[in-house]
Amino acid sequence: MRLDTLYTAETPEGIALSLRPAGLVARGLAYLIDFAIRLGIFFAISITAGMLGKMGVGILLISYFCLEWLYPVVFELTRAAATPGKRVMGLRVVMDSGLPVTPAAALTRNLLRAADFVPSFYGAGIVSMLWRRDSKRLGDLAAGTLVVFSDQVSLHGSVPAAEPQAPARPLTAREQVAIVSWAGRATRLTPERFDELARVAEPVLGPDTSGASASQRLLGVAQWVLGRRAGADARGAAEGRGP
Amino acid sequence: MTPIDFEAAYAPLWAELEAVVRVAETRRKFDGARLATLYRRVCEHLALAQARAYPIHLTQRLEGLTQSAHRLIYRQHDYGLARFARLALVDFPEAVRAHRGYLLVSALMFVLPLLAAGWAAYRDPGFILHLLDASAVRQFDSMYGDGAESLGRTRNASDDWQMFGFYVMHNIGIGFRCFAAGIFAGVGSAAVVVFNGVQIGAVGGHLIASGHAGNFCSFVVTHSAFELTAIVLAGAAGLRLGYSWVAPGRHTRLEALRLAAHHAVVIVYGVIGLLLIAAAVEAFWSSARWIAPAVKYGVGGACWALVLAYLGWQGRPRAAAAAAVAKADEHAG
Repeated sequence: MRLDTLYTAETPEGIALSLRPAGLVARGLAYLIDFAIRLGIFFAISITAGMLGKMGVGILLISYFCLEWLYPVVFELTRAAATPGKRVMGLRVVMDSGLPVTPAAALTRNLLRAADFVPSFYGAGIVSMLWRRDSKRLGDLAAGTLVVFSDQVSLHGSVPAAEPQAPARPLTAREQVAIVSWAGRATRLTPERFDELARVAEPVLGPDTSGASASQRLLGVAQWVLGRRAGADARGAAEGRGP
Repeated sequence: MTPIDFEAAYAPLWAELEAVVRVAETRRKFDGARLATLYRRVCEHLALAQARAYPIHLTQRLEGLTQSAHRLIYRQHDYGLARFARLALVDFPEAVRAHRGYLLVSALMFVLPLLAAGWAAYRDPGFILHLLDASAVRQFDSMYGDGAESLGRTRNASDDWQMFGFYVMHNIGIGFRCFAAGIFAGVGSAAVVVFNGVQIGAVGGHLIASGHAGNFCSFVVTHSAFELTAIVLAGAAGLRLGYSWVAPGRHTRLEALRLAAHHAVVIVYGVIGLLLIAAAVEAFWSSARWIAPAVKYGVGGACWALVLAYLGWQGRPRAAAAAAVAKADEHAG
């Protein structure tokens, strides 16, 4: 069973974009922020329009209409592809093909808010978002859009420096990947856990001669797998044996 | 090639793409050709890095880079006037004709209840009270009575601009909801269309029966050309949405829904336009008392003819062009 909600969209260039759909809480908060902003704008307009008499009432009604229906459409078509609330929460709207959102899709997904709102306070939309792995509400389903987190999370850093060390036996491709991935997590794991994981790979470390810890030695193996060799430039030695 | 060699060989290219992306994100003018070239190269590198299981921080950097470049390259640019003109002159009327089946159903769902309720309210003065309460009926009577300053409004709240704002908010909102409610198997759109038909028919029948026929008809004749067609069109677009997932054909239900929304939303663009015109006409023209009813009937009739002709014929490929296409098809066949 998959644990994460990562969504991949393939591009014509043959690469896969990984998108992280935003769930109910992030989008709900973004909605509340937008709601507050809309309310603020409406009050500001109502104060100025109040001075214009009956024409002001007309302007007020039109601005109410614009804030209710067009506010999200306009902001989602800007470069940030997000309303101010979404931007605060770090979200953006994209097509589910990974492309930037089109005007037709932005209009569709926001008109269908009326359907998501049924029976009251976004009941249908919330059910749909909780039901689906990609957290689409009805409007997103019809428009083919996704609300995703705009920033990448980086759980892996670069491999810390260590003296390269050859493994005790040839490594399979999977083992190489596992060791390099482990090394990339050096900054995120506690030293104890990091070392504990390194000891799982004891068989490839060979006999301990230097007295260094298991994690130090496995980092050396990771560097070796990446193509670094003891001594000076030894690139040729690694040719064809890297992962 | 080891990951270290790979990074050493191509890092300058990645740095250059990063710089180009940064420029493109902030400024209007940038080197698009260079951006595309670099983007394709880095896509290649990403594919290699993924296939060779290079360290994750490396592939992630390439992923982030390709994503931001992808976003820039596939950005839409054609929001201009030409796009808008094409929408009004070709795409919208064509979309309406492409949905003629839904349009027929929607029109029948509107007109039949309208006529039935109108007839019932005309024959039976008490019928309207099934739909509206007595105070609302009295209000309608006063709005279209001969004493009213301007038609179709209550006495105290009446300014052209104010009513324009109200019509925009209220009527376009109904149009939008009518479309959106279609996603529930079309039931929602049907309900909105039928409800509006019954309501309008009953009020019309009641007003005609109580002797306000002249005032009422001269009031509604012009803007109804835009408003009633818009409601029927919104209903047709909603029915298309609902029907698509009830009977998806050779698509999955979701895919069918998406396709339907893609085509139906073009109608909604037109509905917005029609309802804006209707709101302006209703606020500034229909309610004016100084215009003689005969003029209103004339203009109203012209508007109906105009709207129907626009929806029926505007944007059709010209006969000559059609013939040329047919000939080309023949040759190709």
